[in-house]
This record gives sequence, C-alpha cells and structure tokens, in this order.
Amino acid sequence: MRPTGTAILLRVPSAAWVILLMMTVFTAINGRYLTPDNLVNIVLQNAVLLILSLGATLVILSEGIDLSLGSVLTLSGVTCVLAMKHLMASGVPNPLAMGAGVLVGLLTGVLMGLITGGLVAVGNMPSFIASLGMMGVGGALALVLADSTAIYIDNPVFSFLGERLDKSIDGPLMQYLSMPTFIAVAVFGAVWVLLYHTPFGRYIIAIGGNESGARLSGINTRAAKWAIYVVAAVLAAISGITLAARLEAADSIVGVGWEFDAIAAAILGGTSFAKGKGGIGGTVLGVLVIGVTRNGLNVIGVPSLWQPALTGTIIILAIVFEIILSRWKEGRR
Amino acid sequence: MSEPHGTAKRMAPALERQWLQGAARFIVLLCVCAVMAVLTRSDEYGLVFLNLNNLLNIVRNASILIIIGVGQTITLTAKDVDLSVGSVLSLTSVVAAILLNRYGIPFPLAILAALAIGTLLGLVNGLLITQVGLPPFIATYGTLWVLFGFAYLILQGAVIYGFPAGFRFIGNGTLLGVPMPIVVMLAVFSLGYFVLYYTTLGRRFFATGANIETARMSGIKVERVIVIAYVISGFLSALAGLVLIAFTNGAEARIGDRYLLPVMAVVVMGGTSLAGGQGNLAGTLVAALIMAVIHNGMNILAVPAIWQSLVVGLLIIASVLTDQWLRRRA
Repeated sequence: MRPTGTAILLRVPSAAWVILLMMTVFTAINGRYLTPDNLVNIVLQNAVLLILSLGATLVILSEGIDLSLGSVLTLSGVTCVLAMKHLMASGVPNPLAMGAGVLVGLLTGVLMGLITGGLVAVGNMPSFIASLGMMGVGGALALVLADSTAIYIDNPVFSFLGERLDKSIDGPLMQYLSMPTFIAVAVFGAVWVLLYHTPFGRYIIAIGGNESGARLSGINTRAAKWAIYVVAAVLAAISGITLAARLEAADSIVGVGWEFDAIAAAILGGTSFAKGKGGIGGTVLGVLVIGVTRNGLNVIGVPSLWQPALTGTIIILAIVFEIILSRWKEGRR
Repeated sequence: MSEPHGTAKRMAPALERQWLQGAARFIVLLCVCAVMAVLTRSDEYGLVFLNLNNLLNIVRNASILIIIGVGQTITLTAKDVDLSVGSVLSLTSVVAAILLNRYGIPFPLAILAALAIGTLLGLVNGLLITQVGLPPFIATYGTLWVLFGFAYLILQGAVIYGFPAGFRFIGNGTLLGVPMPIVVMLAVFSLGYFVLYYTTLGRRFFATGANIETARMSGIKVERVIVIAYVISGFLSALAGLVLIAFTNGAEARIGDRYLLPVMAVVVMGGTSLAGGQGNLAGTLVAALIMAVIHNGMNILAVPAIWQSLVVGLLIIASVLTDQWLRRRA
C-alpha cells in the first residue's frame, strides 16, 4: 500500500493524540506547564510505573491479567528494606546490605510470580481470580511485615537508586538525569530483547494469538505461561525496590491501585486481549498518558480531592477512545 | 467439562445436583461452626459462639455478603464478573448519607436515589463491556477505581454518621423479631432464586454463560442479557450498602472496599463456576455463612484484621482450586 497522508496519520497511535490534546489543554490553562523542568519531572515520576506496566503488558499479551502486581510492588519494597535494615543494624556495610536487600526484594517477586503463575498455568485458574487472591495475600503480608506503617531506611547507597543525578554528581545536564529513569530504560531494553529477540518472546505472542495453536505447534505453553507471571512479578519487584529507594522508605500500602495504572497503560498503548496484539513500545505512550494527566492536574492546580475521580475518568475515556479508534482503523483496512 | 444447562430439560437435574452440593457445603458449615464453638470457648463465659445473639450477628453480617453475592452469582452465571461491587456500594451509600444528613432529603427518596445510581452504574459497566468491548474484568476494575475516586470526592475525606430513625430501620429494626438485614437478604435471595431458576431470563443467563455463540444463534439477545446481569449487580450492591450504613449508622468513602475479595470467595466457594453457565445461589448463601462464621470466630479470638484478609485471599485460591479439581474429576 502506498502511504498516503491519511494512512500516515492513521499510524499515529491514539495514545499520542491523547497526550497531544492533554498537553495543549494544560499549556493553555497554565503557561508554566511546558517547561523542561516539568517534562523531566513527568519522566522521573513515571519511571517506576513504566517498569510495572511492562510486566502488565507481557501478561496481557498472553491474554491474561495480573491484578496482584501492585501488591507485589509493595511487598518487595517491604522485604527489601526490612532485610537491608536488619543487615545494617548488625554492622554490615551499606553497599553490601543494599545488594542483599535488593536480592531479597527480587526473590520476593520471583516467589509471588511462581505462585500466581503456577495457579494460572498449572492450576488452570482464570488469571483474574488467581491474581485477585494473590493481591489479597500479598497486600496482607506486606501489612503484617511492615506492621501497617512505613519503614524508613537511611542508606545513601540505596537511595542513590532513586535520585536525580545532580544530587551526587556535578556536571552539565545532570539535573535532567535520574537513576529511576536509567533503570526504566535498562529494563525496557531488557524486556524488548526478551519479547522480540528470544523464542520466549515469540511464545508469549503465540499464546496470546492462539493458545491451543501454540501448544499444538510444540510450544510448552504451560511452562511459558508460568514464566510470564514470574517475569511480570520480578518487574513489579524492581519497581517496588526503585520506589522504595526514591521514597527512602517502604510503605505498607504504597502499591494499592498501581496495578490499575499499569494495566490501563498497557491498554492505552494498544495492547489488547484479542489475538496478542500490541507491544511494549505502545506501553511507553500509555504510561505517558497517565503521567501527563496526573502531573497536569497538579500543575494547573486541581485540588487533590478531585484528582482520583478525574484521573480515573480521563483514563477510562482514553481507553474507550483507543478501542473505538482501533476498531475504526480495522474497518478501514 | 459438564454440559451447558441451556434447556429446560437439563435444568431439573442440575438443580438437584446443586442441592446435593449445597447439602455438602452445609455439613462443612456445621463443622466450621463446631470448630469455632470449641476454639472460642472460655471458662468464664462458656460457649460464647453459640450465644443466640452471636449467631444472629453472624447471619446479619453474612446478609450483606449474600445480597451482593446474589448479583455476583448471576453475573458469573452469564460468564461475566463484576469487580466494582465494593465501589458501587461505597459510592451509593455515600450519596445516600449525604442526601440524608446534609440535605435533609426524606429517607425514602434518598433510598430511591441510591438504588437508582447503583442501577445506572451497573448499566455503565454493562455498556462498557457489550458496546465498547472491554473485557469484563478490565471494565469493572476500571470503574472500581473511578467510583472510589468519586466517593472520596463527595465525602471529602469525612465520615458521616447519625442517620434518621426511619432510615435506620432497614439496618437496625426487626420484622416479627427478625433483624431487617436478614429480612432484606431473604427477600433478595428468594427473588434471585426465582429469577435465576424459574424464569426465561434466568435460563438466558445460563445459556449466555454456557456458550455465548450458541445462545446468540438461538436468538437470545446476549448483549442485553449481560447488561441486565450488571444492572442487577449494581442495584444489589447499592441495596447492600444502604442496609450496611443503616446498621452501622455511619458511612465513609472506603466502606465497600473490604467486600470485593470476600464476595468473590463466597460465590466461587458456593460452586458457581468462573467458566460460566453454572450459577449456584444456594451455594453462595451457605458459603457466605461459612465466611461470616470464620470472620466472627477470628474476631472473638482477636485475630488482627490484617491476618483476616490474608485468610480470605487464601480461601479464594483454595476454593477455586478445589472447584477446578472437582470439575476435572467429574
């Protein structure tokens, strides 16, 4: 097909239109919205959400859903900080304590993913109910371990993971760079390779496209599905650890509702439950839709009481828009 | 896999089997009661669990779960799911509370308004699923967060308490000696039972859940059936909320949060399959009683609330796994 003007316009993802629209509105309301400082802020604020959303995207690509990701985020942050704190209290040097803490956090993710994935892949449970149960279990464990409060941690090596670089390094442009952003970019690269350049990645898309077809063509769909939930939970653990580093604390309810943002980001980015469509590139745009909305409402001074209702409504409307637009595009093809 | 229960002929044996399963669950209920009665026994007060007031208390607590659970059972029968029940409950009860206390609206009007909003929210869920084409758990999980946002916005973080006596009657009063929540629950349950098992609409829920394409081809307007299921679920969540705040005499934005997990657990424990086409209302009733007994026992034993939600999460997983295992053996 020769690309015509309309065809090129049609290729622009709907999330990009939403972002454009919102940024225009916010800029019109408050001139201070469109500054480099604020744009950098948006990126920094949403690095953690991006990591979580990549996991949600992988699960949705395989036609599943993981509602426990927010709980895994919370729980991993809590176990990571608790382990680190204990080690530091017994005299282990900061860098070593940090390494061990991060490892404990990641292992927590692996364990949660093994259970959720096992229930789905081996126990044949529908993913939403298995992960709903694990959401309850993980959330409750985090509350128990953290005694329903936030655990503060004072480990400069660890908090570096959550900082802007200008806090510790002098140099030009350092105020525009931050560790969470680096981590998100690195994770994005790793997931990109995993999804598009390994057999496992092709299995994910094959399972989402047609699970029994994938099984009949010799893919061990059970193992692959199991692995998907483990990967998603590890990504949730990475975001939980990064968030704990940024806040210099592990809060026992910090991740409540994050799974909704992550799932919404994946869907806004064009990943759909039908036939393994979509991918992680779109998820970046989806995260930006949410990030731009949150940040914009703040900058134009919407009272915080209004924000949950407004953000939620905007996200749902954006999802409806994305789905209607993609259906319309299908019709034109 | 068992066969779809789409036709009138197959309904009767299906019902019979459900009663047998119900009886099995009833035995489980008795066992749980016995265990709790022994565990909570104290030298000072004896068998506190078997105290008539405590037993009534358990049934009253279960009533809220059952009222929501009837809606969820119907939704799951049509192979859909409503994750927004807790938020619908929160939002509608917050609206009722505001209308009663801030605006002094007569209580029958406030009740009507809350029920109307619940119905409307069910309609929105149904339309998001059938017209926009969102998967049910995405649509209703989305509305879960949006509605919570609105409940929070309306109340502005406040807690409203102290409702007019007329309104409180539906939660606090008694009819012929039976507490009102139980009366409302029995009415909802009987009506739900009649609709699900003895009407054309009920058969359509089963047919749609068992095989949506077959149902469509046999002339059922499946989209309309699904929307009706969500409308019922929204209405019943609102009703449960009204009974709840009339009983507790207070409302806050997160009042419904703690109901989603238990309701899912109860419906699945009751034998309603997530695979659709297998609603078991009697099972939901008994499972809700089991859940209420466990909660009550943990309260008497002073188990912290956090551990209770852990138990509920595990119960969901265990009951789905058992359900799956039984189905594979059948």
